[in-house]
Amino acid sequence: MTEKNTKIVAFLCNWCSYGAADLAGVSRMQYPADTRVIRIPCTGRMSPKFILSALREGADAVWVSG
Amino acid sequence: MNTCINKIREIASKLLENGEVEKVIGFANGTIPMATSPVVINSKQDVDKLVFNSTCGLNLANYVRNQKGKVAVIAKGCDSRNIVTHIVENQVKRDQIHIIGVPCTGMINKKKIEALFGDDIIEFTEDGDTLNVKSSTREETLNKKEYLRDNCTLCMHRNPVVYDDLAGDLVQEQTLENPYPDVDRIEAMDADAKWQHFQELTQNCIRCYACRNACPLCYCPTCFVDESGPQWVGKGQNKTDVDTFHFLRAFHCAGRCTDCGACVEACPMDINVRDFTRKLNKDSFEMFGWEAGLDITKRPPLDVYSPGDPNAFIK
Amino acid sequence: MMGNLLEHMGIEKDRVHFSWISSAEATKFVDVVKEISDKVRAIGPNTKFVKDYI
Repeated sequence: MTEKNTKIVAFLCNWCSYGAADLAGVSRMQYPADTRVIRIPCTGRMSPKFILSALREGADAVWVSG
Repeated sequence: MNTCINKIREIASKLLENGEVEKVIGFANGTIPMATSPVVINSKQDVDKLVFNSTCGLNLANYVRNQKGKVAVIAKGCDSRNIVTHIVENQVKRDQIHIIGVPCTGMINKKKIEALFGDDIIEFTEDGDTLNVKSSTREETLNKKEYLRDNCTLCMHRNPVVYDDLAGDLVQEQTLENPYPDVDRIEAMDADAKWQHFQELTQNCIRCYACRNACPLCYCPTCFVDESGPQWVGKGQNKTDVDTFHFLRAFHCAGRCTDCGACVEACPMDINVRDFTRKLNKDSFEMFGWEAGLDITKRPPLDVYSPGDPNAFIK
Repeated sequence: MMGNLLEHMGIEKDRVHFSWISSAEATKFVDVVKEISDKVRAIGPNTKFVKDYI
């Protein structure tokens, strides 16, 4: 697998990790671009359905972060 | 068990006569031998319909919800634990149900007995630990202990945990060195072998949802498989959708399943769907020291936060 | 528990990750992204739970 087509679906909480991702961007930090971020209002919005859906639709991995 | 059914009928007729309950939920003989079906008794005259034997494998806790007035229900060990779960989850109030507890020595595996005979079974009777099974060509006497369902051989709570009346003497609980040998066997496999195991397990599934309907835990007004906006799971026979259904059905039972075996009992394709829920039972026991439905005052572990919860999986 | 059951079913453990990052922890965010990307690249593409649209 090449680096280009690794797909990691990231479910990030609006108030925590999404903010961290924003800060990382503002700070011009370098990190791998394999993640596809989905913003959720809170990690409490997370459901096992989302993880299975993501895998089913072809994601290589799922990352849930609060 | 014969004395036990007399006691059940006696209690049921007394309750109905005094007007303490409006209905009694129990088992009645089905149309073929070795089949019993749930029945609701409204009047004292029908009490003789009630039976109780080793073929009453379904879980009557499934029927105590949404009843008007007070009902009495016949409960084995696992049924009573599911009733406790219902009370904890506010599906029914404790004073709405009158529990007739039945200490249970296990239910039989009908498929295993049917497999012994080439033809249809025409008569089934039992006396204590011996089963007398008659088909059109031959008759056999079997030892009940060898024909128990898998979940009953691993059962640690044969006596009802909560009851108002008891229809028999309490039985000795089993002590098992390892209550989860089946889970351990799967855990010992590597990832591909596990995947293969579950692929083979679910390949015959016809998506009839009998396991869901038989399960006392599955009471959502709209099940996730029936949702259409958004539709989370495809409704066809696609293997991924079948696996998603089984995975999520099991996961919804995490920390709630009492391993009553009703799902396996109901499955027309003989799929051992317990392979999914057993792992969750083992995990909730090891991670939270929790077995579902034992205490009416405790909240289930996935329901409450406690600082001691295991969090090794979080980075 | 969900991760455990997926693993029990034969999905590799590194396919599902959970973490807890405050909005001030940009460095931790970068570290975790790197770690997860490396792990997922190591186990290769997901073939097991993918729906086949035909």
